[in-house]
Amino acid sequence: MPEPTTEQHHHGAEEFERQPVPERALLGFKSFVGMYAGEHTAGTELMIGPLFVAAGVSAFDVIIGLLVGNLLAVLSWTFLTAPIATHARLTLYYQLEKICGRKLVTLYNLANGVMFCFLAGSMVTVSATAVGVWFHFPMPGLNDLWPNSVGWVIAVLAIGAMIAIVAAYGYKMVAHIANIAAPWMTPVFIAFGLVALKQFIDVTGTQIHSLGDLWRLAETHLWKGGAPLPGQVKFTFWHVMFFAWFCNMAMHIGMSDLTVLRYARHSWYGVASATGMYLGHFLAWLSASLLYALQLHQEPTNTAVLPGPLAYRACGLAGLICVIIAGWTTANPTIYRAGMAFQAILPQCSRYTVTLVTGLIAAIAGLFPAIAMKLLGFVALYGMLLMPMGAVVFVDFWLSQRFGFQPYYAEKAGTGINWAAGLTWLLTLAACWALVQFAGVQIFFVSLPGWFVAAILYVLLSKLMQRETAKTNA
Amino acid sequence: MKTLAQIVSWTALAVVVLAPILYLAGRLELAPMKLWLNAATALWFIATPLWMERGEV
Repeated sequence: MPEPTTEQHHHGAEEFERQPVPERALLGFKSFVGMYAGEHTAGTELMIGPLFVAAGVSAFDVIIGLLVGNLLAVLSWTFLTAPIATHARLTLYYQLEKICGRKLVTLYNLANGVMFCFLAGSMVTVSATAVGVWFHFPMPGLNDLWPNSVGWVIAVLAIGAMIAIVAAYGYKMVAHIANIAAPWMTPVFIAFGLVALKQFIDVTGTQIHSLGDLWRLAETHLWKGGAPLPGQVKFTFWHVMFFAWFCNMAMHIGMSDLTVLRYARHSWYGVASATGMYLGHFLAWLSASLLYALQLHQEPTNTAVLPGPLAYRACGLAGLICVIIAGWTTANPTIYRAGMAFQAILPQCSRYTVTLVTGLIAAIAGLFPAIAMKLLGFVALYGMLLMPMGAVVFVDFWLSQRFGFQPYYAEKAGTGINWAAGLTWLLTLAACWALVQFAGVQIFFVSLPGWFVAAILYVLLSKLMQRETAKTNA
Repeated sequence: MKTLAQIVSWTALAVVVLAPILYLAGRLELAPMKLWLNAATALWFIATPLWMERGEV
């Protein structure tokens, strides 16, 4: 899933924050291949795959939907994010500050930080399900919104506090563990799928002699389609495709990865994101979905999506370690980034204090299984919330001069807030909300029209407001 | 020492890849497959920190 990427793994937080990345600091293609592969094989993949099955996906819809959706995501990184990143070579935050002004960037930081907190909370939830395997406390079900046992509360708070302390004081150590674990973690994710597939073949008595036999097994037992489980939204090909495309929307169309790809020598390095998409968001999602499909086949009444027990049944202790490490190593940088976003708002507080408090908020969020169990919707919301600012950056960079308005307006006008950008953000979100509430458009699809709304609004509002300002000044 | 650690790491990783494939092919039972997976995991996490530099991968 969807945990964001930054340059901190490679460079440290203070480098080139307010200047273009110089030639000597550029990185080769291999750096991005490794980074994207590692960043997108996260604990939350173990939730998303099963939730597809709970949503009643069919074999064609999930496999072709993921292939196409992930391709669109890779193309978005390559043709939307990377060209701007390699031209400007600035962080998203600095570029936004130049366009929108410092005050609006502060608001953006706040929104980003809050979403990171919830995302990290769901990663804590995933790790806590592994602890439940050892201590046998009752764990939440698919439709639970609230914590359902004292054991669960203690486990989540203990793990959350540990992650928060480590994020505040030992970020580099966990980043190192994440690097060590990454090459091992991907084969373990794939092992989940292979083990579940073998068990499906055994329990259904299917004979596999050809790819056609395998496809029939997939259609009739693995991803059967039909009605979703109670309380879940039905997923079709379009849902899967849009979900795979937009689950990292904040990073590509939303432009967060300007911060990462500004180190790329060439814009085509954006294709490196394919490693993350096809290892993490294809193989890992399908593997995790097989584990859950097998559980439903064997115990139809057991609909709980609990990565810990699922992984333990398939791969034993190695599976459990994978769940804990996948959750921990991805929650860690997410909490760190949320802390950085909040610290930009509260510069008088130390980074340690802010990160610690942020981690504790994430732990409290992790107590509520609603976030993890409704992760598909949450991820779509996360992308939608930050998408308008990506459209603003895109239009400001490529189209401002063609449409006759000033790029980097806040910097040039010396204003703390560029109202054209601020109103674009607000009105786009209002338009998206209206489409969902009154036009029956599901949240998974609304960001596509939303991007065009944001782009058009930013052009119109910029022209209007800059003309008014010019008149006033004249 | 570093070369030895690297050999151990990559062998462990090969076992992590091969054990589930052998299980799928019906050449290995579930319990020994898990055992191989656990042993290879332990070896990977013991050997890899000995050679993998911080920030590498």
